[in-house]
Amino acid sequence: MIPNLFEIFATPYLLKVPLMWLAVMAPAMIIFSPSQHLVTGRYILLKKWTMKQFIKQIMSPLPTHGYKWAALFTALMITLTSINMISLLPHTFTPTAQLALTMALAFPLWLATVVIGLLKKTTRSLAHFLPEGSPTPLIPALVVVETISLLIRPMALGVRLAANLTAGHLLLQLMALAVIHLPTPMWPATVAVATTLMLLTILEVAVGLIQAYVFVLLLSLYLQENI
Amino acid sequence: MLSRLCQRALAPLALRSLAPSLSAGTLQVSRQFHTGQQCLAPITPLPEMGGKVRHGVIPEEFFEFLYPKTGVTGPYMFGTGLLLYLVSKEIYIITHELVSGIAIVSLIIYVVKKYGPTVAAFADKLNEDYFAHALACKNSAISSLEEAIESEKKEQSRVEGRKYLFEAKRNNVAMVLETNYRERLLTVYNEVKKRLDYQVALHHLKRRKEQDHMINWIEKSVLQSITPQQEKESIAKCISNLKVLSKNTQAAV
Repeated sequence: MIPNLFEIFATPYLLKVPLMWLAVMAPAMIIFSPSQHLVTGRYILLKKWTMKQFIKQIMSPLPTHGYKWAALFTALMITLTSINMISLLPHTFTPTAQLALTMALAFPLWLATVVIGLLKKTTRSLAHFLPEGSPTPLIPALVVVETISLLIRPMALGVRLAANLTAGHLLLQLMALAVIHLPTPMWPATVAVATTLMLLTILEVAVGLIQAYVFVLLLSLYLQENI
Repeated sequence: MLSRLCQRALAPLALRSLAPSLSAGTLQVSRQFHTGQQCLAPITPLPEMGGKVRHGVIPEEFFEFLYPKTGVTGPYMFGTGLLLYLVSKEIYIITHELVSGIAIVSLIIYVVKKYGPTVAAFADKLNEDYFAHALACKNSAISSLEEAIESEKKEQSRVEGRKYLFEAKRNNVAMVLETNYRERLLTVYNEVKKRLDYQVALHHLKRRKEQDHMINWIEKSVLQSITPQQEKESIAKCISNLKVLSKNTQAAV
């Protein structure tokens, strides 16, 4: 019997207690805080090194007064990455595949960047509605297009992450179903499908990392425009 | 620590006097961040290596726990029995999740086996670089202090040679003074000589002028005293002398 494939995306409950918060907080339990030792073990050392590289990469285009966003971006990146990676294990729930989570992250952060831009540099952030060097007859249409593009950004941010992860996990489940059910009718095909499943798993790992990075990168870009 | 406790105890009293809208901000403003160590308990020493595990996840202590009663194969029999029990009683149901789980777990095992040593070596190198940098800072501080000590000692030894330095300087000054004095003496001598030479030259000039004048006067008076008669006589005498001379010359030839 083929189960309902979308059951994996339903919020888990245990005796009517929703476990969404546990699913979101659980990845944080594998991230250890920096210890008080001068010489730390390999895990914390590599974590510190990765965070340093990431912060340098993301924060270098921003001006100095934008550096206060570093903690937020790093925390967001680590949360999303760890959630995505843990959700690849079997029988786990993917919180970032829920639009509720991704939109709850994307919308307020995008709004914060827009409000900062309008408050601190009103003219400059309004000037973004018309790209430089645009031909004069197209100006009205371009302004409308740019406004729509601005307003669609939170939607795009949230839905991009959710859709990528949902699609990836769904594909993995489908492939796994095929591997389970195919050996009886035609088992040579199982080998091919199993290979594809392995490749898809590798792709899912990559997608999980990239989507988390893209989320934070886009937010930093929106901040760059407005700060 | 006690000061922090006191502050925290006093804070509610202070906040009660303020309006509710201000009290939250005041608490944030008065809170001190990162003024000292977060935890004053002694730090536990970090073990050299991690805990020993078998097959990557099961701690070695589990095998040692079961060894006295069940021997070497005991834990494996336990594991197999447990898995079979879960599967046969359908406590764990074999679904497609198992297949995707096998895929991701095999990927994790492959990546850890292949890149684990490289990543571990890289992490160790990071530690070593950090240590080397700290050591280099310490060593450079020590060496700069040692250099300072050496230069200080050299300066201290130089103090003893001060006496000779001052002697030499005194000698120099005396020599300069002496030279100066002699130069001035020479200048005086030369000036006096110049003046005396001038007087001598003046005297010589006067004498010479007097002599010339006298000679001229004598010649003039002599010439004036020569009468015409005397002149004729002297000319005739000259002519006769010349004749005698010419006769003598002719005779010689």
